[in-house]
Amino acid sequence: MRLIIILSLLICVPVMALAQQKSRKLFPYNYTTDDFPNGLRLITVPTDYPNLVALYIVVQTGSRNEVEPGKSGFAHFFEHMMFRGSENYTADQREAIFKRAGAETNAYTSDDRTVYHATFSKDDLDEIMKMEADRFIRLKYALPEFQTESLAVKGEYDKNSANPFSKLYEVLRETAFKTHTYSHTTMGYLKDIQDMPNQFEYSQEFFKRFYRPEYTTVVLVGDVTRAQALDLTKKYFGDWKRGDYVAKIPAEPKQTEPRKAHVDWPSPTLPIVAVAFRGPAYSDVDKDKMALDLLAQVGFGENSDLYQKLVLAEQKVDVLGPDFSNQMDPELFVVLARVKDPKDIDYVRDQILATFKRYSTELIPQDKLAATRSRLRYSFAMAMDSSNAIASTLAPFVSLRRTPETIDKLAELMETISPQDVSDIAARYFRDESRTIVTLAPQAKETAKNEVKERGK
Amino acid sequence: MRRRPFITRLTSKLISLFISLAILTPAIALGRTQKNMSTKIASVLLPNRSPLVTFRIQFMSGGAADPKGKEGVAALTAAMLAQGGTRTMTYEQFLEAMYPMATSFGWQIDKEMTVFTGTTHEDNLDKYYGLISQMLLDPGFRSDDFTRLKTDAVNFLKVSLRETNDEELGKEYLYNVIYDGHPYEHHNMGTVSSLGKLTVEDVRAFYKANYTQANTVLALAGGYPKTLPQRVETDFAKLPLGQANKAKFDAPKLASGMRIAIVKRETRATALSLGFPIKVTRADKDWPALAVVASYFGQHRSSNSYLYQRLREARGLNYGNYAYIEYFPRGMFQFTPDPNLGRSSQIFQIWIRPVTPENGHFVLRAALYEYDKLVREGMTKGAFEATREFLTKYNNILTQTQDAQLGYALDSRYYNIPDYVSYMREQLGKLTLEDVNNAIRKHLKSEAIRIVIITKDAEALRDAILSSRPSPITYNSPKPKEITDEDKVIETYKIKVNPEGVVIVPVEKVFE
Repeated sequence: MRLIIILSLLICVPVMALAQQKSRKLFPYNYTTDDFPNGLRLITVPTDYPNLVALYIVVQTGSRNEVEPGKSGFAHFFEHMMFRGSENYTADQREAIFKRAGAETNAYTSDDRTVYHATFSKDDLDEIMKMEADRFIRLKYALPEFQTESLAVKGEYDKNSANPFSKLYEVLRETAFKTHTYSHTTMGYLKDIQDMPNQFEYSQEFFKRFYRPEYTTVVLVGDVTRAQALDLTKKYFGDWKRGDYVAKIPAEPKQTEPRKAHVDWPSPTLPIVAVAFRGPAYSDVDKDKMALDLLAQVGFGENSDLYQKLVLAEQKVDVLGPDFSNQMDPELFVVLARVKDPKDIDYVRDQILATFKRYSTELIPQDKLAATRSRLRYSFAMAMDSSNAIASTLAPFVSLRRTPETIDKLAELMETISPQDVSDIAARYFRDESRTIVTLAPQAKETAKNEVKERGK
Repeated sequence: MRRRPFITRLTSKLISLFISLAILTPAIALGRTQKNMSTKIASVLLPNRSPLVTFRIQFMSGGAADPKGKEGVAALTAAMLAQGGTRTMTYEQFLEAMYPMATSFGWQIDKEMTVFTGTTHEDNLDKYYGLISQMLLDPGFRSDDFTRLKTDAVNFLKVSLRETNDEELGKEYLYNVIYDGHPYEHHNMGTVSSLGKLTVEDVRAFYKANYTQANTVLALAGGYPKTLPQRVETDFAKLPLGQANKAKFDAPKLASGMRIAIVKRETRATALSLGFPIKVTRADKDWPALAVVASYFGQHRSSNSYLYQRLREARGLNYGNYAYIEYFPRGMFQFTPDPNLGRSSQIFQIWIRPVTPENGHFVLRAALYEYDKLVREGMTKGAFEATREFLTKYNNILTQTQDAQLGYALDSRYYNIPDYVSYMREQLGKLTLEDVNNAIRKHLKSEAIRIVIITKDAEALRDAILSSRPSPITYNSPKPKEITDEDKVIETYKIKVNPEGVVIVPVEKVFE
């Protein structure tokens, strides 16, 4: 070798964590769970990754909780407001503290959860826990900041709006769900976003309802001990008052007929086909979700027959894959394809439908099932390569079941699923009457205009 | 988010089509060095006891080596290696083999380097390495793969960039404009017209000339067996010896004066990017000072930087505003930059996220006003100290994973600086406010700013800019006097551009 650089400092050698990773558990780290009288839960995961701590505060509210009409997108907007200051810290003071800590900090909202996260040096843990608790317990913002922040949300909508997948998803959800709040996206409808500046009082109500200890789990991962975590959580979150609001999420009635919708896209793009069936909610006990997760990979992943046919052999599609999240309530099992030539839209749709039909009757080969189990196990092991990554992996599961244990239960459940289970469960869910198909393509005149331009080159 | 926003899951699928890389960021500690003259292959090794093993296999050649008229061949060659079959295995067979291991093989190209990356669990190391080494060393260059990947490249430019993502479109087109006539000019993926003419023979020729021992850097991290580096080196010695690619590129020479390119496209918002070349790279002694400035002025996706505070937090004009001194593609999808995008010429860039079209003129003025103010006034002592403290700690976060550490080590090798984190800690410790403000005056003063704007009504915006008429702003809530006073200055702020300096570019001409 011309040059060998040996890295003598074995920083980042999480010896203990690594030993744990060799276990067959899907979540291999030791952790503790502590419940406080007010309903708050603390999960601590000490690792050997040195110096850094990842703090994830998981709130079990998201666009699913937006039950009133005209309030779509509000959970996400509210997440923005959580950065606008609290009784003991102005927004500027918050920023200064995070800056001094060299922290990477952010938040996100999805259907079922809002997650506030920060990764920083362990030396700053006390101050950051104190500051974070203040906003969860004593959030404080004035009307002008509220109205200004609503414009930033509008800016977020605007930046997303160039992407046709955003619109396709909006239409897919409102077509497939008629009463459940999953009918709108987390971003929300534009008309509701435009009305956000007028919802100051509702925002305070939203805070009172959902920013409560019984909906919240503090997750601390990294160079931290349980004693420290417990002490700080008790000290700063201990006086948080339990709430009593429970959102009445309307159940989605059984779908009784196949549905479809089409989006005319105003500028040139490749057509997109989404085929969706009403699927189950997350469960670590019932086989349905896990069986269909396995099927999602086998039937529609990049090693599937369909992918190999449409993407690699026939080359009619350049994006193909399943989208089937773990959700609190029954969720859509979606397969998406971006089609290279508009004339192939129907063909691609029919190929996807035939694949759903195929696995409702045909058994998955045992070796394929074994390979898929292996894939899911290694996916987990390889995703958790830092304290932040471990916390980030945990957050969705914490929002669903408030414990990492659910991940291991899931792994056990996975081992019990047979090819016959997959086929039986597929046959139960992939029925014509529970199907929604949405297509997106450029408006006819735009397509025509584009073709002229192409010819003119 | 505030800061991490709502990104559709679909978008990430789209991205992964083209950029299978991504992982995290930054640095490591360098120890001793050794030389072995038996091959011309360089290595960067980061052994530890992790059960994961990470590969970054770098070739010191990229888009700047595309022959004239064959723009995109470097990228297509990389795609053919990482997403195509070998002489003995089809790509389908690779996917089948990778599937139970949950592994993949990613590629990333930039002007001067191409890197292939992947991580595997130690359980699967032999099998995984066997696959990826075969992909790089015994490529099949099959015609069906070629057709697929060439179409992907064209659709990336025509659909994903031009028609799906105004922000990335603006940022990438800014590079086209600044590097007009320079080897960096074209997008790394090529141009639509050049891609159309490429043949599989062009790919073979590029591979033969550029994938040589002299251009290879093997980087490994994780709990790999001691014998692995030697095994890998022996395998890669099958590549021809070749000569190291020594090409370095000067900053482009731009005509003086501001130039504005308004890209006309059917879109609901207006996206802006501004920039100009700088003579500073990570190898330069002024780089740490400029890193402080860029972080203070517009730390990527951070809410505590100056531009973000002024435009978004105080005024609600958009979703975010940032500044850069290094190429940072795919910024809307990630919080930290990908390593291995080293360049001998970089630009200073301001990225203004989409605004409503009626505010486009005002926001352009605001960005120029803030830039001029930065150059005129520099940083304050308080801002300097806070930002220095931030960066000193934040660099540890950038290098949380072994993949990031490996990537930063490769970049330190490229720029010939010590381990990034310790180097920056030391340099930041020595830095003074005067150093930083000198660096601003020396490197960030430009009379040749280039601006790219993506908007629907390009003519109206051009006319507004050239008319110099005021662009008053209204808000949905009362603003402090300090803001309204400043707005009065901004709404008539002089945009120093001549009529011939503003051009309207139909989007279908971009990357054509």
